[in-house]
Amino acid sequence: MIKAQSIIYLFLSILGAIYLLGGLSLPMGTVNQPGPGFFPTLVGVLILCLSVSAFVLSKRKPTITGERNSVFPHGQDRRRVIGLTLAILSFVVFLNPLGYGICSAALMGATLRLLGLRSWVRIVIIAVLTALISQYFFVLILDVPLPMGSLFF
Amino acid sequence: MCRSQWEASFSNMETLNGLAYGFSVAFTGSNILACFLGVLVGTTVGVLPGIGPIGAMALLIPSTYSLGPTSAIIMLSGIFYGAMYGGSTTSILVNVPGEAASVVTAIDGYKMARKGRAGAALAVSAVGSFVAGTIGLVGLMFFAPPLASLALEFGPPEYFSLTLLGLIFLSRIGSSSALKSFLMVALGLLLGTVGMDLISGIPRFTLGYLELGQGIELVPVAMGLYGIGEVLMIAERITGIPDLIKVKFRELFPTPAEWKKAFPPMIRGGALGFFLGLIPGPAAIISTFAAYTLEKKLSKHPEEFGQGAIEGVAGPESANNSATAGSMVPLLALGIPFAPPTALLLGALTIHGVQPGPLLMTQHPEIFWGVVASMYIGNAVLLILNLPLVGIFASILRLPQHILMGLILLLCLVGTYSINNSFLDIYILLIMGVVGYILRKLDFDMAPLILAVVLGPILEKTLRQSLYYARGDAWAILGRPVAAVLLFIGFSCIVIPPLVRRLRKAAR
Repeated sequence: MIKAQSIIYLFLSILGAIYLLGGLSLPMGTVNQPGPGFFPTLVGVLILCLSVSAFVLSKRKPTITGERNSVFPHGQDRRRVIGLTLAILSFVVFLNPLGYGICSAALMGATLRLLGLRSWVRIVIIAVLTALISQYFFVLILDVPLPMGSLFF
Repeated sequence: MCRSQWEASFSNMETLNGLAYGFSVAFTGSNILACFLGVLVGTTVGVLPGIGPIGAMALLIPSTYSLGPTSAIIMLSGIFYGAMYGGSTTSILVNVPGEAASVVTAIDGYKMARKGRAGAALAVSAVGSFVAGTIGLVGLMFFAPPLASLALEFGPPEYFSLTLLGLIFLSRIGSSSALKSFLMVALGLLLGTVGMDLISGIPRFTLGYLELGQGIELVPVAMGLYGIGEVLMIAERITGIPDLIKVKFRELFPTPAEWKKAFPPMIRGGALGFFLGLIPGPAAIISTFAAYTLEKKLSKHPEEFGQGAIEGVAGPESANNSATAGSMVPLLALGIPFAPPTALLLGALTIHGVQPGPLLMTQHPEIFWGVVASMYIGNAVLLILNLPLVGIFASILRLPQHILMGLILLLCLVGTYSINNSFLDIYILLIMGVVGYILRKLDFDMAPLILAVVLGPILEKTLRQSLYYARGDAWAILGRPVAAVLLFIGFSCIVIPPLVRRLRKAAR
């Protein structure tokens, strides 16, 4: 936990430093008339101070014996989380070329499989039905202009 | 009759006239439908662990585009307070709180259910929510208009101080440590600065993406942190379908002795919840813990708490409902949200072209009074939904988790895409989902981040305006009494707690 937190604080420190540099590169204006870089610079300084302090404190904290090394899952649990994240990413990447129908069915199928449904027949039936019903609901009822797939149209 | 008495009665008459006007607005077909849909969705998401009111509100904001602003806010508020009702059902029947504000209810509610008093617990919870919801609404009606009149005198320094105070308060009373909460605030402020500068029009931190010029939308951030983040958490620890305790309709009647015990906690919880709702932070959650502690302290039999005490259900369930009405006061009177759900309401108002603030009541009385009246109607509908139909809502839990999570994912993705038909928004959704998952694992509170995204631009604008009007003299802000008091309170909130801790340590 402490190690993971230290990494996050370090990441935030780097993010804060980059953001601060970005803020400093914007017109700062004057105290009478602060420019667009004024507030981001304050926020950048705040993030940097807080994250560096948190990082130092987390490094000073003694590790309690028996404490879990990581709060993040291992084995099958980790595979499920990563798999689902990749499934969502694939949905976003392929939404435009393949269209909503195929992508939603694939995402639903992947979710069902990853979260424990074993029967492929049921997975296919539920995924296809969800894709058809949701496409009808979103496109025809709610009028959402979902991509239909540039590969096919 | 002296002048002050006349003014008071005139003001009360105005309030009642406003309420009558509100009912005329709320009783139109589209608004009744919006109210019903809102409370129905609210109860459903309250029952379901995994998607809370924030995720559901974020999800449904895009679908309100075709509605008018009044119907949109009526529907979204319905989700907010409806979720407080639904959350108790699963807490009592399966010991699984549907959302965070019902965690305390599970302590005694589930014990009551195990003793065969599930029906009584559900009835007390629903009636308590109704009573407290009404108390909260009366408070909202009588508090918001004078506060809005007062706020008309506010200038940028007062708004700056109030917004800053809100962020400080939120960081101090969140569930994680102060340092972590402040970091979340800072991260939210960072996200709030992305996009075109409101005053000069210069693009900031847009990384070359034209779409980012409009700034980062609140919906993908909220839906990512609360929707996708929660789905990833559930993917990590998949569970089976829980065993439900069945409740028959005739069992839904508490005994006279139970009513007698439950009624005073309902009133106390209602009053306490409303006032806690006015304070920045996750009031609905905090109020339940406060009400539970209060009831335990006042009880002649505190040992019964944790063993199925009906007061332990009535107090917290009443408190979380009136807290929702309380948290609407700063939004509707000042235009400043102090809780994530009201931040989403602010986002929805802005999307519909309505500028929230002290002028809302005079410029858009149909929204303010329409929402207030709809909340009375919604509370009555919720009482019906949550008593005779409680079995139907509880049976939603029988829906397999894998199907439910798949549907939530699709709703989050399509809901986000539909705001601007933008792929960038769904990439932001995914990034925020992963960020939300990691933050949850590391015990970070996400409410300060969400609120800072909304309050950041207000904070920046009012700070720059204050400095401009004060001709660069930052100390001039302290010359304004209201701003000075608010800043002093904020400063005390940061300085006093660590000072007290240090003094206590030294005393030991």
